Amino acid sequence: MRKQTAVPAIVDSVEALEAKIAQVRAAQEKFATYTQEQVDAIFKAAATAANTQRVPLAKMAVEETGMGIAEDKVIKNHYAAEYIYNAYKNTKTVGVIERDDSQGIKKVAEPIGLVAAVIPTTNPTSTAIFKTLLALKTRNGIIISPHPRAKGCTIAAAKIVLEAAVKAGAPEGIIGWIDVPSLELTNTIMKEADIILATGGPGMVKSAYSSGKPALGVGAGNTPAIIDETADILVAVNSIIHSKTFDNGMICASEQSVIVDSKIYDKVKAEFKYRGCHILTKKELDMVRKTIIINGALNAKIVGQKASKIAELCGFDVPPETKILIGEVDSVELSEPFAHEKLSPVLAMYKSKNFEDAVQKAEHLIADGGYGHTASLYINQVTETEKMADYFERMKTCRILINTPSSQGGIGDLYNFKLAPSLTLGCGSWGGNSVSENVGVKHLLNIKTVAERRENMLWFRAPEKVYFKKGCLPVALDELGSVMGKKKAFVVTDSFLFNNGYTKPITDKLDEMGIAYATFSDVAPDPTLECAIAGTKVANSFQPDVIIAVGGGSAMDAAKIMWVMYEHPEADFMDMAMRFVDIRKRIYSFPKMGEKAYFVAVPTSAGTGSEVTPFAVITDEKTGIKYPLADYELLPNMAIVDADLMMNAPKGLTSASGIDSLTHALEAYVAMLATPFTDGLAVEAGKLIFKYLPSCYENGANDPKAREEQAHASTLAGMAFANAFLGVCHSMAHKLGAFHHIPHGIANALLIEEVIRFNCAEVPTKMGTFSQYAYPNTKAKYAAYADAMGFGGKNEDEKVENLIKEVAKLKEKIGIKRTIAEYGVEEQVFLDSLDAMVEQAFDDQCTGANPRYPLMSEIKEMYLKAYYGK
Amino acid sequence: MKLDKVIAERKNKTIYRDGDVVIKVFNENYSKADILNEALNLARVEETGLNVPKIQEVGMVDGKWCIVTDFIDGKTLAQASLDNPSMEEEYLKLFVEVQLKIHNQRCALLTKLKDKMTRKISLSGLDATTRYELSERLNGMPKHIKLCHGDYIPTNVILNKDGVPYILDWSHATQGNASADAARTYLQFSLKGKEELAEQYLSLFCDMSDTPKQYVQQWMPIVAASQMAKNKPEEKEFLTRWASVCQYE
Repeated sequence: MRKQTAVPAIVDSVEALEAKIAQVRAAQEKFATYTQEQVDAIFKAAATAANTQRVPLAKMAVEETGMGIAEDKVIKNHYAAEYIYNAYKNTKTVGVIERDDSQGIKKVAEPIGLVAAVIPTTNPTSTAIFKTLLALKTRNGIIISPHPRAKGCTIAAAKIVLEAAVKAGAPEGIIGWIDVPSLELTNTIMKEADIILATGGPGMVKSAYSSGKPALGVGAGNTPAIIDETADILVAVNSIIHSKTFDNGMICASEQSVIVDSKIYDKVKAEFKYRGCHILTKKELDMVRKTIIINGALNAKIVGQKASKIAELCGFDVPPETKILIGEVDSVELSEPFAHEKLSPVLAMYKSKNFEDAVQKAEHLIADGGYGHTASLYINQVTETEKMADYFERMKTCRILINTPSSQGGIGDLYNFKLAPSLTLGCGSWGGNSVSENVGVKHLLNIKTVAERRENMLWFRAPEKVYFKKGCLPVALDELGSVMGKKKAFVVTDSFLFNNGYTKPITDKLDEMGIAYATFSDVAPDPTLECAIAGTKVANSFQPDVIIAVGGGSAMDAAKIMWVMYEHPEADFMDMAMRFVDIRKRIYSFPKMGEKAYFVAVPTSAGTGSEVTPFAVITDEKTGIKYPLADYELLPNMAIVDADLMMNAPKGLTSASGIDSLTHALEAYVAMLATPFTDGLAVEAGKLIFKYLPSCYENGANDPKAREEQAHASTLAGMAFANAFLGVCHSMAHKLGAFHHIPHGIANALLIEEVIRFNCAEVPTKMGTFSQYAYPNTKAKYAAYADAMGFGGKNEDEKVENLIKEVAKLKEKIGIKRTIAEYGVEEQVFLDSLDAMVEQAFDDQCTGANPRYPLMSEIKEMYLKAYYGK
Repeated sequence: MKLDKVIAERKNKTIYRDGDVVIKVFNENYSKADILNEALNLARVEETGLNVPKIQEVGMVDGKWCIVTDFIDGKTLAQASLDNPSMEEEYLKLFVEVQLKIHNQRCALLTKLKDKMTRKISLSGLDATTRYELSERLNGMPKHIKLCHGDYIPTNVILNKDGVPYILDWSHATQGNASADAARTYLQFSLKGKEELAEQYLSLFCDMSDTPKQYVQQWMPIVAASQMAKNKPEEKEFLTRWASVCQYE
């Protein structure tokens, strides 16, 4: 139960204020349940009531404060009611205000609660109308802290809005105010409110920000108006007069100085005179200086007074109808009183040598005391776009007005209809504010974002042409000449293949088609940057329009790198190798490939799948750093899978690359990005590998059918992991290979069984983060894989065990040993390298797709088990 | 203690010298708390290590409270400037140097300058609106903890025989924003009609302390209001003008 306190008749003490706060909060709780229709009806009724009382309120304000002009205050009241209503009448402020069902996003508006509104003397009624209307539209309660000099009219305005709102159905007491303002009460309401709308001096704004509550405060302005030589003088001068005399210059966006190009200075001055402004004589200038500023601060007596009254205070006379007192001054330093904000019809006028000089002066004046507020420029906006661009880049103000009277222009919707109407003008961080735009309803709402779970878009990408079948090479190559009309081919391979004639069928075909070619045959295993640079040199001088990579993973990777360096010599490997979480969101954008040369990949071993993958690894021989590159730009354009090139592969290569292709299929199948598109490929690859790899190993060229099926299996697995990616087995294998010179395929073989056990945990320490991967289900996937292979098993556990057994059996059949130790890695050497391997494996690009997010300690454990075999 | 050599006479107190000590004797109607507070301030400032006349005794003579301190034999900076006008600039520089040395000290138990100013504003006799605006201005000022003398004027600095400056009269000392202290010195000069000297002082202070002038100026209406609490009719018009400025809105 809320404590019921009697609501005091007047708020003049902290106790009374606390009771008032309780009342407004209770009202707001009710108000928070209102519908948009109810709120809109209240908003309309309140705006209408304030509108009808615009004249009495304006008169009251002038009478009470002794500042400003009643007729102008009528405009401000009218504006605060009508323009604010018009701007927000159709704005949704209740419940769901925005929705996008396809993206699964909803925005829900909630009131903030209790608004503390500090109202200044300069706009005591219009600001009260403005802030109370905003509060009503947003279902907030509001308590007003008026200025002591203007409390009567401010409270009267608030009362009118409150009564109309309540009559239209708003809860009683939704608007409150402090009757007898004091610093203590102002500070109290600022501390107790949920948000502060502080308009006031810097002291007030600072208090607001230091109250610990979010505050929308606005600061001082010192608007300079530049009149460029191209400006329309009539428009410029009369706009400035219209603005500067408005409410006797009390709008904080009002011009404080005018900076006139020397070429038009005399004309501008004459126009000011002609339109009733008084240019101060030297003697008068000093009299005004002494009067308006006291110790660097504005004399309170001149604020909002008529020009003639100010002249009188200074000790001289001007005609009563005088519009503005203009002081011709040179200095923009604060030691010049005219360089200050004057809040009265007193204007500084500077002569500028040129536009640059004018902008510099304006910058200085803004730094003097108008950071973040408003700046104004009169110029030919058709011809002088460059000057305007320079100007808006350099002004540190949140409103930059072109050919617009700044008092009326800054508050919006009068001279530009996209600038939000507001009597609270944010000044950004320059003015110590939290907002830099004109304050409106959105600043008084908490917007809740309801985000539904959505899955990522996925993809399937492969080379545009994948040609396969034993003996297909010359047929496929024919297209380069007959269809594509290529002229120059660059063949990249290693010395073994070159010396043993593997490239001959290719070059023969090229000769036949009349395609010139150059061959680079120095690719070594684990290709280096040095090698890629050497190849690129050849390519650069030869200028090929097609690159043909012939070989295993190394030759294909090296050729991909040469392709990049040939097409984009400016690209940096460090950037290209930058790790990413999601290939679509990577920071580095990979250069566009294929503009100079078409890329053809011809594998001579069945394992890496590089002919269909977007990956390449290159080593910097100087530093030993490996750069793993991954981007679909690196996808070959054409893959030619011809088992004829693989017939005589040695046993070691056959087993290492063959088992590599199996780990590709197994990891891609359980990766978080796996899809039915990749699953089918991974399953088919697995079936072929289990069936044909042993015979490839045993019989070599004597079983061409097995060679062919294994070749296809390798490419199928390649396409699977080119899209679903790999996992922690490859992460660990990369580092095991790098540290201990174990062939890549063998390294994977040594780890894959541990990884299957690791991944199939139903209670993993941590699961991977990917929208599609909803819960740990890797065990079921392995079981399904085992089923597809026909390995049998009564339940998932058995099936997974059978899968592991069959993998072990296959490894044995193709001559792969059981442990890392058996490959001759000394125990101490292994243990010494372990921590470094663990950390690097953890950070490997492949780790990100693994369904179980590994801890480093878990990687270490797998390494140890793989080393010792238990 | 011999009370026969008067060295100064003020409205509420008489100051005597007796050999190496100075005896400040307060009139009977003087607030006991103020006297003890002055002694306590002095004792606290002594602990900072600044050159100040050390307190020797607080006691009663002839039924009146007195504070006994070291006698510093020398000339005040005010006197020195008068005697040697060609050195005026040097003395002003020394005056600021010593003030900056004071501001470098911390004296954690002294009254807070802001509290004192708040009190003085409410006693200023200004109208409620002006007091509200001044309180608001004061409230927004940065809160520091520098030692502030509170009545730092050239007659409160004595150069001893070796030319070492000693700082007297710590009855108004507080801890707070040094710019307020400077604004107060500026005000004291201005009240005496020494406007040129006031400007010179302020420029020098701002230069040597690397403080923007407008930052010191922001304190002027506040120190003017605090001075009004003294209720001196001859100062009223001057101070009201200083205090009646407007916060930008």
